[in-house]
Amino acid sequence: MEKIKILYIDDEQNNLNSFKATFRFDYSVLIAATTEQAFRYLEDNNDVRIILCDQRMPDKTGVQFFEEIRNQYPDPIRMLITGYTDIESVIEGINRGHIFRYIKKPWTDTDIKSAIEEGNKFFLTNSMLKVKNSELQSAYDELGKFAYSVTHDLRGPLLSVLGALQIAESEEDPKEIREILGMMGVALNKLDDYITSLHEYYSLKRGKLVYEDINFENIVNDVAGLFKIAGSMEQIKFNVTINQTGTFSSDEVSLKIILNNLLSNAFKYQRKEANDKFVDVKIDADNTNAVIFVKDNGIGIQAEHIDNIFTMFFRATSQDIGSGFGLYNVKDALNKLNGTIEVQSVFKEGTTFKVTIPGRAHGTK
Amino acid sequence: MVQNKKQHFIVIDDSKLDCFIAEKIIKNTGKCESVTSFQMAENALEYIRTQATPSANPTIILVDIQMPVMNGFQFVEAFEKLPENITDNYSVFIISSSINDDDLNRVHNYRSIRQFLNKPLTSNNLSLLLSKD
Repeated sequence: MEKIKILYIDDEQNNLNSFKATFRFDYSVLIAATTEQAFRYLEDNNDVRIILCDQRMPDKTGVQFFEEIRNQYPDPIRMLITGYTDIESVIEGINRGHIFRYIKKPWTDTDIKSAIEEGNKFFLTNSMLKVKNSELQSAYDELGKFAYSVTHDLRGPLLSVLGALQIAESEEDPKEIREILGMMGVALNKLDDYITSLHEYYSLKRGKLVYEDINFENIVNDVAGLFKIAGSMEQIKFNVTINQTGTFSSDEVSLKIILNNLLSNAFKYQRKEANDKFVDVKIDADNTNAVIFVKDNGIGIQAEHIDNIFTMFFRATSQDIGSGFGLYNVKDALNKLNGTIEVQSVFKEGTTFKVTIPGRAHGTK
Repeated sequence: MVQNKKQHFIVIDDSKLDCFIAEKIIKNTGKCESVTSFQMAENALEYIRTQATPSANPTIILVDIQMPVMNGFQFVEAFEKLPENITDNYSVFIISSSINDDDLNRVHNYRSIRQFLNKPLTSNNLSLLLSKD
């Protein structure tokens, strides 16, 4: 474990020396004889956790020093050391210096040690709270987006179907009715896709990674089955090249989510008029890495939209059905696997996604 | 009110089915001269910009809010920037599945939006809208 970094300020060099001598094995100790020196240390060391300062110094009091640094360096825990125990300075220290401990001179090793340990606990709790708060904020933000999208993406297809039902009821021509039924099917499939994405989203957020040996051949077969059928109907050539040497360990559920979404997009966003449509999947995997290419010659992505494609609910095209969830889930899955994704796309010519995932080393848990 | 006046319609909705529903219902009113659907708002805007002849009755535009690339509000903003001799020929209505208060309130910020209609479009609320004119 890394040593706790402490800054001690005192105008008596003897005090500084004995402090450093006593605690240098347990903590990483910085000593400063002046507040200027202390400022320089704080500037260069953003990992100082605890600041101990003598109250009586020639240019200013410890309370004044703490008051000065509090805004710029709010995180380190402040402790005042003083030989004078007048109640006024205690009050000042607490009210103006916002100190955590008041330590009486001459100090004992145990006094200092227990103060530092307590201060460190407080520091850790605070930092944890900050992390949790920012997590909470982003969870709230996502919830807001969710509530909005749920009304549109869940309610939209339902209302479409209701509207279509109403028309079908007054329609006499069976051919027309069949056409309406077909469109209702499309709307309901869209709804189902959306719910599947929600489920994926939830599994990624809450689910634990389960590492196992991955056979890419099997994964592609599982995922690509549906696309093969759709592909042959739409005359999309589907090429799969898998080159796996060694054992690659990763989380199968996440890998499937990644492949499924990339393939789904590649098949969905084809140029309808093209007569040489294709989707290429190439996977190179060894013990340490898997690199997945998914390439199509579909509609492509306009340059100005590229930066946004991984954002939740962003859709760059009005062609066909997109939930605005797919690539967000891909990115989320890759974050969990420490993977990366790159995209190259030319509008109206096609898109290539390159995914790189490190395999988990064998024997680690 | 002029009886049996015929009107032109423009429907803008990224959902093909919703365009189809709107077209059907509009045609069934018997007050429809023509109806043109767009799944992309940019295309509708381009069409409106280049459409020359003003007709006796304003063309009714039904536009969805949530659409990719250009959404309904962005469309209205761009529409309002067109010259008046074009915009005067149109009445804009929002048609949406949104029950979001922000969306409902935002409608009031645009002078060209006449009304907010809930999806799905029905013969009843369309006839109501037409009889108001």
